[in-house]
Amino acid sequence: MSTTTASTTTMAIDVEGLEKRFGSAHALRGLDLTVPTGQVTGFLGPNGSGKTTTIRILLGLLKADGGTARLLGGDPWADAVRLHRRVAYVPGDVTLWPNLTGGEAIDILVRLSGPLDPKRKQAMLERFELDPTKKARTYSKGNRQKVALVAALASDAELLLLDEPTSGLDPLMEAAFTESIREVKAAGRSVLLSSHIFAEVEKLADRVTIIRDGVTVEAGTIAELRHLTRTQVTCLLDAGADGLADLPGVHDLVVVGGHVSFAVDEAALAPVLSVVAGLHPRSLVANPPSLEELFLRHYGDELAALGAGSGS
Amino acid sequence: MTAATAARAPGLTSPTTRSASGSLTGLGTMVRLVVRRNRVRLAVWFVVLVGMFAYIVSYYSEMFPTQESLDDFAALSNTPGIKALTGLSPAADTLGGAVWTKGWMTIALSLMIGVAFLVTRNGRADEEVGRTELLRSRVLGVHASSAASWLVGALLCVAVGAGVSAVSLAGGLDPEGTGIAGSLVIGASVTGVALVGLGVGAVAGQVASTSRGANALGTAVVAAFYVLRMIGDLGNGVLTWFSPIGWGQQMQPYGGNRWWPLALLVVLAAALLTLALGLEARRDLGSGLLAERPGPDAAPPRFATPLGLGLRLQRGPILGWTIAVALCGLLFGSVVQAMTDLLDDAGGATDDLLRGTGVPALLALLAGMIGLVTAAFATQSAVSLRTDEATGIVEPQLAGALSRRRWVLQRLTIPVVGSAVLLALGGALLGATYGSAVGDSSQAATMAGAALAYWPAVMVLVGVAVALLGWAPRVAVPTTWGVMAAMWFVTMLGEVFGLPTWLLDAMPFSAVPYLPLEEMSWTPLVVLTAVAGGLVWTGLARFTRRDIQPG
Repeated sequence: MSTTTASTTTMAIDVEGLEKRFGSAHALRGLDLTVPTGQVTGFLGPNGSGKTTTIRILLGLLKADGGTARLLGGDPWADAVRLHRRVAYVPGDVTLWPNLTGGEAIDILVRLSGPLDPKRKQAMLERFELDPTKKARTYSKGNRQKVALVAALASDAELLLLDEPTSGLDPLMEAAFTESIREVKAAGRSVLLSSHIFAEVEKLADRVTIIRDGVTVEAGTIAELRHLTRTQVTCLLDAGADGLADLPGVHDLVVVGGHVSFAVDEAALAPVLSVVAGLHPRSLVANPPSLEELFLRHYGDELAALGAGSGS
Repeated sequence: MTAATAARAPGLTSPTTRSASGSLTGLGTMVRLVVRRNRVRLAVWFVVLVGMFAYIVSYYSEMFPTQESLDDFAALSNTPGIKALTGLSPAADTLGGAVWTKGWMTIALSLMIGVAFLVTRNGRADEEVGRTELLRSRVLGVHASSAASWLVGALLCVAVGAGVSAVSLAGGLDPEGTGIAGSLVIGASVTGVALVGLGVGAVAGQVASTSRGANALGTAVVAAFYVLRMIGDLGNGVLTWFSPIGWGQQMQPYGGNRWWPLALLVVLAAALLTLALGLEARRDLGSGLLAERPGPDAAPPRFATPLGLGLRLQRGPILGWTIAVALCGLLFGSVVQAMTDLLDDAGGATDDLLRGTGVPALLALLAGMIGLVTAAFATQSAVSLRTDEATGIVEPQLAGALSRRRWVLQRLTIPVVGSAVLLALGGALLGATYGSAVGDSSQAATMAGAALAYWPAVMVLVGVAVALLGWAPRVAVPTTWGVMAAMWFVTMLGEVFGLPTWLLDAMPFSAVPYLPLEEMSWTPLVVLTAVAGGLVWTGLARFTRRDIQPG
């Protein structure tokens, strides 16, 4: 949770105590967010929690009402133009010029930040299977998103700000996206990836920040956050599950015939497993906690009301 | 109703056309839907068009009290400019003929294009966004939706025609001894021409695959009809007969009072609707005969500057306004001579309108009109800044290395420079056309200068647009248009309606020296330019400091 403000040079994004009001609505209430240089940081939160507002402040489109925000060591409001030469942005809902083609839109967006490399543009067009000769008016949401993605990935930006970039893409294109982000990371560039797709963040992100109602509720590396969660264990015990329920650290034990499933705290994993071993399991499956479970702990009430399991 | 379709056994060869029975199932529901969705639109079209005709009738009754004044107007009607615009009425020297010359073409053309757009709105546009798909998944015949919008459109055509006839009867436009034939014929000619517009819109909606394409195609066909009759009316009249608009003219209300061209119009409209039905029965939902053409896969570097992109995106409007201003200049210049004679004999209201008498007053008024047309261009171009913010399209640009100040200032070059060019062009053409008639070649430069004097006033409107962009973005677009409309109204009709002098003097357009009637005076121009600059400065200062607000 602790943010290091000492050396901004190692932080592509460093946000502390960010505040933003829209009239009477309090969109951000002291939000913290850091994106270390060269890393992919996941940015998770339900709709309306303030992800897009944060990104728009980082782009200098909105002015913060309080707190500090540093983007690549500069002030995102005052130094917007200078900083934007090193930044690429993919909005969640992409608006394009209806009577220009996708190819024209890509060229315009890339050239606004820096020089255009036609080879990279071509490579990205092929990777995302996008026809650049079609008018933007005829594109679906997914194709408009591809235009913004191709424009962002064809540039040399040091920092990519991606606002739910895959919400309109099919699974094949998501794979292309995953590949692209890995390349970006390998090149030492930084990414802020806002998403609802936990698996995607889990696959790509080094760190995760989870926000709710405009405040950060959880932040750390994926490994650090796993300490906070429980491993889900399913096993087949012919002899029954005697004694397991009483062990410290075991939760939600369910026994159906010989099938036993339970959750176990990270700290209690070793002693619990030794007890399970003594019960001679015929099979055992242990799953690491997914971000989804992590999410459920913070938004359990809301998700339960929706009928859990929606973003998976 | 559906028995015939159900009875068809699934065969190897699927029928290329659908069974005709049941193709209109659900027509009643669809008619109610079309009326419900368009009731305000329909009412506005009717009131505006019939109201415009009624206004012309009452205004011209006052303006032409004597046969002498009507004869002058007939002479004006016989000039190339007016013949090109509306054609020549065989009854041009009657009150009915004068009203026809003034209003018939405007009303008939507006209704033609209006119903064509109405058909698109309820047809191709719905299909494009997927509403038709939802409807057609229910028990609904393939033609029910289209037929309903055609039916409602046709009713509007008939209603407007009937309204025009009624106004003509009430205004006593029929020349003595001709009964009411002229009044009936003028209404019927409006309806007949408009029905062809309906047919054109129906076919365009089947041919084009987007609503934009359908409207463009419909407008282009109507424009072609108009140009055909324009060439015909200026020449030997043969080409007039190749245009349905020409057929409407040739019904000759108040003159020949012919009914038979109406049959041509109705037959053509029916043929077009039948063609549209045939196309609709054969094609897939969502498809058109004209597919969207592919465009370039790359953009030239200049598109990455706000000015370059703005010029590309406003290419159509810039071209359109340039043509409009050039045509205004040519037309105005060609009627100056004939209008001056007319004004000498017309009622006293015109001196108020002209703020003076004689050719210089008329030239000054026409230069002001060029200024007003240019103001509409400048307003449209300036409010596009806010429109781009509202649609969110500016965000990806500002997320690039582009400052808000540079974006605004470069985009403003278009209305700032464009207005100067249009004013000079319109004024020069006005002066050149008039000058060639009176053998005075210096008129082109004089009138270009007279029109250019309106540049600071036009810039005040641009300033208003930028100030509102900064301080009141959510209401900026309608308010800017409102200010422009108020300026139009006050400048053109303020003195006629006797509005207070202080109000008139406060209007940017009234402050401009009334060249060539008045002497040139720099003070108001400097003040107006300073006001415009101040408005731009305050709007820009605010815009660079506030949040970007989509929506």
